[in-house]
Amino acid sequence: MRPTDLSWHVNRKPKTARSKRALEKRAPKAVENPKKALFLRGTTCSQIAQDALADLFAMRQIHSKRFHKKNPIHPFEDASSLAFFSEKNDCSLLLFASSSKKRPHNITFARTFDYKMFDMLEFNLDPETFRSISQFKGKKVPVGTRPLMVFAGTAFESPVPNTFTMAKSMLIDLFRGETVDKIDVEGLQYVVVVSADEPTGATNEDDPSMKPTLHLRVYLIRTARSGQKLPRVELEEHGPRMDFRLGRMLEPEPAMEKEALRKAKTSEERTKKNISTDIMGDKLGRIHTGKIDLKDLQTRKMKGLKRSRDQHPENDLDAEFEAAPKQKRKI
Amino acid sequence: MSTAAPTKAPKLPVTVEKPTPYYFDLGLLLANDPNPLALDPSNREASLAAVARDGAQSLINQLLTVCPISSTPAGVLLSLPSAQTPLPREKPVPAPKSESKWSAFAKRRGIAPKTREQRRNIQFNEATGEHERRWGYKGANKAGQDDAIIEVKHESAKEKNRKEGTSIRGDKRREIRERVKRNDRRERRNQRNNEKR
Repeated sequence: MRPTDLSWHVNRKPKTARSKRALEKRAPKAVENPKKALFLRGTTCSQIAQDALADLFAMRQIHSKRFHKKNPIHPFEDASSLAFFSEKNDCSLLLFASSSKKRPHNITFARTFDYKMFDMLEFNLDPETFRSISQFKGKKVPVGTRPLMVFAGTAFESPVPNTFTMAKSMLIDLFRGETVDKIDVEGLQYVVVVSADEPTGATNEDDPSMKPTLHLRVYLIRTARSGQKLPRVELEEHGPRMDFRLGRMLEPEPAMEKEALRKAKTSEERTKKNISTDIMGDKLGRIHTGKIDLKDLQTRKMKGLKRSRDQHPENDLDAEFEAAPKQKRKI
Repeated sequence: MSTAAPTKAPKLPVTVEKPTPYYFDLGLLLANDPNPLALDPSNREASLAAVARDGAQSLINQLLTVCPISSTPAGVLLSLPSAQTPLPREKPVPAPKSESKWSAFAKRRGIAPKTREQRRNIQFNEATGEHERRWGYKGANKAGQDDAIIEVKHESAKEKNRKEGTSIRGDKRREIRERVKRNDRRERRNQRNNEKR
């Protein structure tokens, strides 16, 4: 089902050419613009959470916006303000930093679909292990460089959606950058590594200190000649260093999720069924030949095999052959 | 090799061996390490860095072996495949536009859309040997509109059916305005049909 609610960008008619261009920029497209992220803070926000938010902003300065004023928002009670900001600024990724007695140093990731709240997840920052970018010495990567991403740990492999798979999806969305089909090898400068502790199984779900932790680390890549064709990779920490425990989450509505995961029809050719290419580059096709009647098969003619002499036409051997009608043939 | 120096450095290992292999989404420059994380609690950062190094090494190996590499003056470029990981869109997939009456007709008749050159406002006038505008200021579609003397053909159908209070002066202008209005009406009709669907 398509959403029947017409958004403002459909039913508002631009009055000038300039506003028309502006509306066209944010209109729904088959191949989408890179997602914009909005960084904002709540009325109470610890210095640590603010620094963490500033570091995340520093890593994603392109296609991002940052608010400096306080916002009286509680995303899990009422997310309408976040949806409003998303629409006003055309940002579909929101990072909201706040701090309270119950949830200190908290960053809420929220994503919107069609300017409506899609999903939300709380990342509770561990203040002891947090190190900001400025605390690391060494070269810093230029703004707008695409990072490599590594997700390590079995927690991300869960077949049912949970907080970890959602966190993975959100972090990929945050760091993926622009979709390009070509990338300069020189641009592969740093890697974002997210590792998840192993779920211990017997932990008490209500105790936050027992929950598995998410380790976000950013490293610079140094390549050295290895004497082989491929280079040897060495890493040097770039910062920030953040450890998160995952808090509350808002799962996407099934209908909205289905709509959001739809793929636009592109001119890209679809793979045809039953056609493959082998190692030699020959095209192979699998065709269905129907059942082969082995009764009419011409075999060696011998007097003893004449039909008139055959007393048992139902042969077990025949039935066995008929079970394999599909063959590989060169076309 | 016989020419190699006697004090050759040992080859650094570049392969990564893990019980469960990595899987990649090269379009996103993403590697997934499905192996359980074995962290040393006494030296956590070092063990995290080791996991990170192995991940980065295997991702770079994969990128350099799988993606086609092309050397250009701008640098060495890797061609990335499209991303496979399902990520939610930020806006719905746009509905396909319904066909307008004209485009349906053009398709039926096999009329190709106008080229960029045909849509240009500048055209070459064979008679004067100069370039001129097709429309707008001093446009060719206004030629003869403001001439001092215009011949009136009293017997023509146009003169006989002339509306009260109009003359041949401004006829051309009126015709253009009429065509523009007609086109606007057509545009609105197509838009209405588009919304109805």
